[in-house]
Amino acid sequence: MSAEVWMGYLLDHQPAFTVVQSPFVHEGERVFGADSDATTLAVASILHRLQHDNVTHVSVPEGINAATVAVATGVSLHDDDEHPATWDLLLSDEATVVLARHDADVELAAMDVEIEVDSEFKQAMDMAWEQELQHHHVSQGAYVSQAQYEEAARPRLLLEGQHGEQGAVWPPRYSPHSNESVPAPRRLARVGRVQTWTTLSAAGAPSEFALRAPVLGGISTVLLHLEDGPNGVFLVVDDEEFTPEMDGRMELVLRRIYAQEGFIRYGLKARPIHQ
Amino acid sequence: MVDVAVVGAGQTKYGNHASGLKGMWAEAAQRAFASIDGDFDPSRIDEAFIGSLAFGGSQLGNTAALLTEHSAMDGIPVRRVENACASSGFALRDAWMAIKSGQADVVVAGGIEKMNDLTPERRRYWLGVSGDTEWERLAGLTFPGTYALMARRYFHEFDSSHDDLVHVSVKNHLHGSMNPLAHIQKAVDFEKAANGFMVADPLTLYDCCPTSDGASCVVLAADHVAKQFTDTPVWVKGSGAASDYLALHDRPSITQLKATQLASSRAYSMAGVAARDIDVAEVHDCFTIAEVLATEDLGFANRGEGGQFAREGRGVLNQGDVTVNSSGGLKSKGHPLGATGTGQVVEVFKQLRNQADGKRQVDDAETGLTHNVGGSGATCAVHVFGRERS
Repeated sequence: MSAEVWMGYLLDHQPAFTVVQSPFVHEGERVFGADSDATTLAVASILHRLQHDNVTHVSVPEGINAATVAVATGVSLHDDDEHPATWDLLLSDEATVVLARHDADVELAAMDVEIEVDSEFKQAMDMAWEQELQHHHVSQGAYVSQAQYEEAARPRLLLEGQHGEQGAVWPPRYSPHSNESVPAPRRLARVGRVQTWTTLSAAGAPSEFALRAPVLGGISTVLLHLEDGPNGVFLVVDDEEFTPEMDGRMELVLRRIYAQEGFIRYGLKARPIHQ
Repeated sequence: MVDVAVVGAGQTKYGNHASGLKGMWAEAAQRAFASIDGDFDPSRIDEAFIGSLAFGGSQLGNTAALLTEHSAMDGIPVRRVENACASSGFALRDAWMAIKSGQADVVVAGGIEKMNDLTPERRRYWLGVSGDTEWERLAGLTFPGTYALMARRYFHEFDSSHDDLVHVSVKNHLHGSMNPLAHIQKAVDFEKAANGFMVADPLTLYDCCPTSDGASCVVLAADHVAKQFTDTPVWVKGSGAASDYLALHDRPSITQLKATQLASSRAYSMAGVAARDIDVAEVHDCFTIAEVLATEDLGFANRGEGGQFAREGRGVLNQGDVTVNSSGGLKSKGHPLGATGTGQVVEVFKQLRNQADGKRQVDDAETGLTHNVGGSGATCAVHVFGRERS
């Protein structure tokens, strides 16, 4: 079937289920991209479904980071006697995640987009992540503790800011605005335009990216002016062959940022919106 | 209120230094004391402020106490001042305020950094710790990347290109080639500087300052004791400082540094001078784009014309409106983070006393300026100096 592209993934939207699949293929099998995993695919599936349905109470299988999915989608994952799951996230062997209504029959259709991944690249990237994910791996990277990461999880994963006197504020600030002691939260659209960009050479990349930057040939960062007002800096999605353009439109999608002490930090990365 | 003078100033050579922290500081302090007329007794020092990022973490705690222990400053109140690359610019301001307040007559301000004894991985970590870690660092940015974002935006907004940055690099390498204390004492031509290894597009190796070891030390004195130390003091005529958002994306504009604008306007106002009165300026060119922006923010060039200022050679030694970075600047003299601010004062002190060595003396230099920036512009200290007290 001819697949729709959604947040950099292949999408099959059906009344009872949504399939999100990696576009990458290696030796005949679907594989995750350079900074993707089942969690990032799961988030993409829920965000798409939310455009059509009220998704609540999702069961999450092992292999998907439930806390990240909950924050990045804003969806409750309660699955207990009082609130039984009405949706299930299902994990396939081949870089595919399905979000299905509870007890729905799911039929996976073959998608026709296949981007072949270079073996050497895949092996080097897999090894880098494997090493980075070791619990004892503490890079010389700047330290963002798990507590600090989780404190800013909603702004980081959900792009949640604040209502300000002169428009949206993001990342949120602790100083109260005039008479408001706590500004109301506001979710921002995940779209912006490039104000400026750079590509750091592998040698110049921060040390927390030291294992993967040489494989990627450097890392690119854009400063976006978000459509809702604020500016932000974001890494460009790792597997996009892409040179940013001034004023070009980009969307923000959830991807892996880096891992330290066995803990993956996720965040929003930018990818081009092709007209 | 009491006036404050610089009566002595000295520094180590910047570069890959054989000594560690204690040895470098002792050398800088000794050179500062030796620059004072007659024999200087360190027991005259009432207070000391030493700027350092404590790069590498080898002596993160009580850095200043350890250093003064090795420079005959026993028992004096001392502390480390940390404002990233502007640490010793702020140490100078703290020292100046200590005298202004009447609590001290003789105060040392200095700075130090040891950067070349780390593995490349450790060094890369420490080079990026002064940005907004949670947001900028997780977006893959260290300072070459941050300044690259500023440079590309500047080219987009104004009539400027990378060639203008090359002119800055060529000028500062030329000046540095005449400075025996500079890290890189080598002139480069336009062609070579234009084709360096790409570090952070559009910035090449020749747009980036080196990673330097070094220490610098300045002795300040109140007006009523200054003449006990020298007949040719250099007066601190104005001190201004300011801060701004730490992260680039929080600022309304990334092609100007608000902290520099605020700090310089305060310093000029206090000194009773304007940008056109400055003869020699040591500005914070950690990256060449930083000098272009600084020439605008300090008022040497109009907004959007900093590139043109560089292109027309208006900052070249004795050739333009004002000599910018006669020492070679951070680009060529080097950038031992915590030492840079007071190292700039060492150069201006020499220039205003007509003592600059290596054929880099600015003709008839009467008024000088130092401009020291922390991070990508979150902190800034600007000082104006003069040969005349008022």
